[in-house]
Amino acid sequence: MDPEVLAIQPGAPEPIYRQIGEQLRRLICSGRLAPGEEIASVREVAGVHAINPMTVSRAYSQLEAEGLLERRRGKGMVVAETRRRLLSEDRRLEQLDTGLRELARHAHELGLPGRLVLERLQRLLENEDERESDLR
Amino acid sequence: MNVNLTFVESPLACQDIQKHFGSIQVLNGITLTLLPGTVLGLIGRNGAGKSTLIRILLGLQQPDSGQSFVLGDRSLAMGDAVKSRLGYVPQQPDALGWMRVGDMLDFVGCLYPRWDREFVQQSLLRWQLPPSSPLSKLSPGERQRVAIIRALAVRPDLLVLDEPAAALDPVSRRDLLREIAVRAAESGTSVLFSTHIVSDLERVASHVAFLHEGKLLLHAPLDELGDTHARLTVPAEAKGTLAARVAGELSRRRRPDGSVSLVIARQSDAPWPLLAADPRIRLDHLGLEDLFIEVAG
Repeated sequence: MDPEVLAIQPGAPEPIYRQIGEQLRRLICSGRLAPGEEIASVREVAGVHAINPMTVSRAYSQLEAEGLLERRRGKGMVVAETRRRLLSEDRRLEQLDTGLRELARHAHELGLPGRLVLERLQRLLENEDERESDLR
Repeated sequence: MNVNLTFVESPLACQDIQKHFGSIQVLNGITLTLLPGTVLGLIGRNGAGKSTLIRILLGLQQPDSGQSFVLGDRSLAMGDAVKSRLGYVPQQPDALGWMRVGDMLDFVGCLYPRWDREFVQQSLLRWQLPPSSPLSKLSPGERQRVAIIRALAVRPDLLVLDEPAAALDPVSRRDLLREIAVRAAESGTSVLFSTHIVSDLERVASHVAFLHEGKLLLHAPLDELGDTHARLTVPAEAKGTLAARVAGELSRRRRPDGSVSLVIARQSDAPWPLLAADPRIRLDHLGLEDLFIEVAG
């Protein structure tokens, strides 16, 4: 992977580690980065874009935790082979990320305990399920 | 990231530094610890005391009270071993100004065991600095580039730069940031740099500190700033709900329309103060530049 494919914007509301995460996620999901393909090292990305290396490794660790990247001995990080299995549900869940983050923030701002929010969300999800079965 | 390092373990630290010039209190109780391997960007307005703080941290100036340490040594009594691991770029480099560029770098290089001659050659070429020019004939930007080469050639464990971007053109500035990023990645170099160019800081810093009116208003990991800091806007009609001091309050500003804006800090897993739940009160997450303007404006 050429580190130049990433576009970094300091000053954007999205922190740089999230910018890197989002862009790699898109590259992996669209297949532009194939399973097994080595991604640019932390040092390369930090050097090319003049950004802090910890920011880059934070993004990589997050993608690793999501199962999109794998650490290979001897090599650096590669795109995970297993992604096909993970992808469909993960990818759909990903679409919710922004909304969920917003929701979490609002709940926080309102000082609402997570338990109450989750109960409410659960009920809303059940309503949706019912509505769907009614329609059938 | 609340690591309590002793001063001896930290690459650069100070405690309760006070300094005044005449009747002006420039630094009023500054306590700061640079974590190993981090890049700390120090922002403050002109005259906020950034250079004074840096000079005190490095033992180039004496504080009225308080103490500071560089790589485990007291700043005012730094040993040669520590000096050889320190790279420093002053705001206006003027040392050895009567020498030629190449001679000065050769001379200084003899004092450092890890001096990187190859890096010096390459950098002089890349930055178009003729070794035979007398330093006194260089422009301020060229002078600064020589000082940066000198500081980096040491292969320092601790790199301190005082407004390095001030006289640099955008290309050299990017070169410098790249160099800082690579050093941090490859050698775990700890870095402190002061600047007023917020985008430089957003790129390369891992941590940020605000110096304002003699105090450090904020010292936080850059990535978490958006989650841990926000502005509350309290309209005039809701001012009754406002306590004399709100938990985590960093600054308070009265606006022309009678509303009040507060900057609030919280731990990353703590809730916002109850005040934020009032529907009349607006909570905004700010970028670094806006946050700085709000706090220091």
